[in-house]
Amino acid sequence: MSTKILTLCNIISRPVNVLLKQNNVTPNLKTNFSTTSVSCISFFNKLPAEKLWKSVTSVSNAGAKKGRGRGTGRIRIRDLNRGQVIGVGKINMLWPGLSAPVIRGRELLKQQRLPDDQERLEKLTKIRDSMTKFRRIRLNPIERGWSGSKLPGRSLGPPDPIGEDEFTGFDTKVLQLRSLLIMKGSLGRTRNFQAMVVTGNGQGLAGFGLGRAKEAPAALRKAKNRAGQKLMHFEIYNGHTIYHDFFTAFGKTKIFVQKKNEGYGLMCHRAIKEICQAIGIKDLRAKVEGSNNLQHIVKAFFIGLLQQRTHQQLAEEKKLHLVEYKDENENFPKVVASPSEVRTKDQIQKNETLDFTQYVMKDKVILKKRKFPRFYETMPHYKVYLKKYEKYRNHEKIRLNLKTEYGEVKSFLTDKYPEKAEQEA
Amino acid sequence: MSLIFRRLARNNPRNIVTDAQILIISSRKLSLVPSLYDGDQDPAPKFFSSNVQILLKRLTRPDFNKVFRKRTNHGFSVLKTPSYKFLTNEELEEEIAKANEKADRLLQMPPVVKIQQHIEDVLSNDPALIGYDTAKYIFTDITFGVANEHRIIIERDPDGTLRSCDHDVRKRLNQAYFPLNGRKLREPLMFADIEKLNSLLDREKYEFVLDRACVQYEPDEPSYQRVTSITYQHVDSKSKYELLRSTRHFGPMTFYLTWHKSMDNLMLELIQGGAVREAVLLSALRQDIHGDVANGDVARTLAQQILPTPVQLTKPETLTEEDIQLDSKCVECIEKYITGTSSMKSQQELALQGFREYYQQLIDLSRGLKKAHGKQ
Amino acid sequence: MSLPPASGTGRYFARAAKSIRLIRQGCTNRPFFHISVTHRRRLNSQPVIEQLGSYDPMPNINNEKLVALNLERIKYWLGQGAHVTNPVAELLGLSGFFPIHPRSYMTAWRNRRTERENLAKLEEQKAKEATTAS
Repeated sequence: MSTKILTLCNIISRPVNVLLKQNNVTPNLKTNFSTTSVSCISFFNKLPAEKLWKSVTSVSNAGAKKGRGRGTGRIRIRDLNRGQVIGVGKINMLWPGLSAPVIRGRELLKQQRLPDDQERLEKLTKIRDSMTKFRRIRLNPIERGWSGSKLPGRSLGPPDPIGEDEFTGFDTKVLQLRSLLIMKGSLGRTRNFQAMVVTGNGQGLAGFGLGRAKEAPAALRKAKNRAGQKLMHFEIYNGHTIYHDFFTAFGKTKIFVQKKNEGYGLMCHRAIKEICQAIGIKDLRAKVEGSNNLQHIVKAFFIGLLQQRTHQQLAEEKKLHLVEYKDENENFPKVVASPSEVRTKDQIQKNETLDFTQYVMKDKVILKKRKFPRFYETMPHYKVYLKKYEKYRNHEKIRLNLKTEYGEVKSFLTDKYPEKAEQEA
Repeated sequence: MSLIFRRLARNNPRNIVTDAQILIISSRKLSLVPSLYDGDQDPAPKFFSSNVQILLKRLTRPDFNKVFRKRTNHGFSVLKTPSYKFLTNEELEEEIAKANEKADRLLQMPPVVKIQQHIEDVLSNDPALIGYDTAKYIFTDITFGVANEHRIIIERDPDGTLRSCDHDVRKRLNQAYFPLNGRKLREPLMFADIEKLNSLLDREKYEFVLDRACVQYEPDEPSYQRVTSITYQHVDSKSKYELLRSTRHFGPMTFYLTWHKSMDNLMLELIQGGAVREAVLLSALRQDIHGDVANGDVARTLAQQILPTPVQLTKPETLTEEDIQLDSKCVECIEKYITGTSSMKSQQELALQGFREYYQQLIDLSRGLKKAHGKQ
Repeated sequence: MSLPPASGTGRYFARAAKSIRLIRQGCTNRPFFHISVTHRRRLNSQPVIEQLGSYDPMPNINNEKLVALNLERIKYWLGQGAHVTNPVAELLGLSGFFPIHPRSYMTAWRNRRTERENLAKLEEQKAKEATTAS
């Protein structure tokens, strides 16, 4: 039993028989188990495991400076005795008091040999090797974030309740998790984690938070709870999109956000997408120009959303009717907001921006890149293909029509002029 | 009220003898008989006369929310981003005027015309060509800029006769050489198979059926008149007029019912809905078409007074004195119509009585309000 | 990639002789003709000046042969002195636009003759069979 405890404490990591010899343990054996001292002393049983491992893993001082022994190809120390238990060996013996209890039920167990386990060795090697190989954490596709099992993009659940107020219906998404290195006078270089998360209930309430801590989970928790305390409310137009296009910037990050129709979806930076989902915006297009700093993007987007004006405010600012045209409604002019006092045509200045989009975008224009033809469209074979395809251009439609009419691909002439094979049959 | 009538009708249908009621009873079994405009009288001059057109348009009760509703079968599969404009008062008025024009276009009624006559027009006969070919030759003049109905389409028969083609062939070839969007070369199954048509009607897809019929057929085709007449009768029997209001099909349906003198169910629905002014317009319409209404001239003059007033989409909440005057005139007029020409007297009288009671309450309420405000 | 327009893409020389002719399009076992105006000395495979109509020689499901004619443009090209080939002249004759082409009468007469002969042969055969049977 003592040996068992010793192995557990990881004090000894030498082969068992060497141990047995040293401790002078003489189990009561009748089998041909050798108790005599080991005659052959080799390199492997002369030195303790730590030293052996060190000889393999150690890198010279000069090498360490060059960065050897890091990254890929690095040898790690591993426990080769993993999975092995005292009292269980090649020969499957039952040792009462060692590998089995002395009394089972009312019965006194006896030392006996059990049938051999053929797969023991395989199992052992499997357990041993499972340590060394790099194992990727597998996540449910629903739980996955933006990239595999990495945290950004993953859900953290609602923020912790404050007192009795619970965040029901809220969900938190990680936007960023990174490690920061800080130099300290006494400790030298220390590692901190910084996390940025967004939390929201999908019905207009959302907030973002930044948290720093020594460990990643702590940083995430801090960020999450901070986000829960900084909630903002946003109006959502018709429950699916923003009120109007807008331009917003933070630092060198510029974002052009466009209002879109129902069913358009979220075509934007992934962080903006998560924010929109947290708020409950379903349709929008956003183009980020300039710096791609994620924290700046998040801040710029929130600022932009907060600076939105409702239709009534816009109409009051301009002192003109604001009229909405929808293509699906035959462009019927629907007055969405009217000011208390309407200006006449003479009162409008000449250099005033009257175009709605231009007005709400503050005269900023989105860069529209030129669309180049697909790489194959300029090639000669594509022209050849198009010419050949000309012959078959309507065949699919004809097949479909024939199938709906006759149930198969045949025409009225098929009965008149049957196929030769059919004729012979 | 209609419940009482139905119970009556179920108990002893023989006691009730009038035509309209028999029509209703028979159509409840959904054995609808199509009736075409194929009599001696041509409905086109009546239908296109400005009086009737105005009345029909007013009876459509155009609600812009429904006229400009979101249409799914509109030719674009994806919605578009809405656009916005800042407008002054004058510009807004212009835009609304444009929208009114657009509404007129959307509510343009499919024409009601007499059924088409066969074209029998032999151009020449050359017996020496007998045996030239076993198939017909059909020649289509595809000269640019000629309307479908004026296009020259002729055939050379195997017996050497050169003749103008009949309507079905003309339609087929016009569609082959100058396809209309949405029209199919062969008749769609929903029209060809009466079972499928009936199932559509039972699901109350009236507008879909009528729209598709408009695309598929010409208005003077027998098939068009067959499909539309069945649909109108179905709507009439189920009293689902509300489904066709604010669409372009309400006018032709009203015209159809009035032409066949079976518009009393519609009249009943109008009275029950409290739209007495429209009921007067309907009787004026009947006077215009048939001239057999008891006090037709009164109805006509009253209609002239009603037309300038705004369309009542919902029941009014307060009344002015002019409204009260006009409505009481309307009620009198309808009363005479019911006693004189109606074929559903008892129910319409009951409905009118109900309306009177409701209206008296409304009058008291609005007069009381005025007094409370101290205007009188 | 779309089909060349009906206005034609061929080079046009004002003083060269033109002809209105049938040009076989379609594919193997499925003839289809364009009625086109082109230079008289030009091959059928070359681009035409203008397409004036079409002719489908295979009867459709209703046993009809469809001919489309742009009469306005045909009149124009005739006015320009275009030559009309026999098959086109036959079609135009059948349509009543031209007087009926003599070849149409000839074909009709020959068809009637073969028909008569076939009938006579059949009757002869029947008579023979009747005599052998009796």
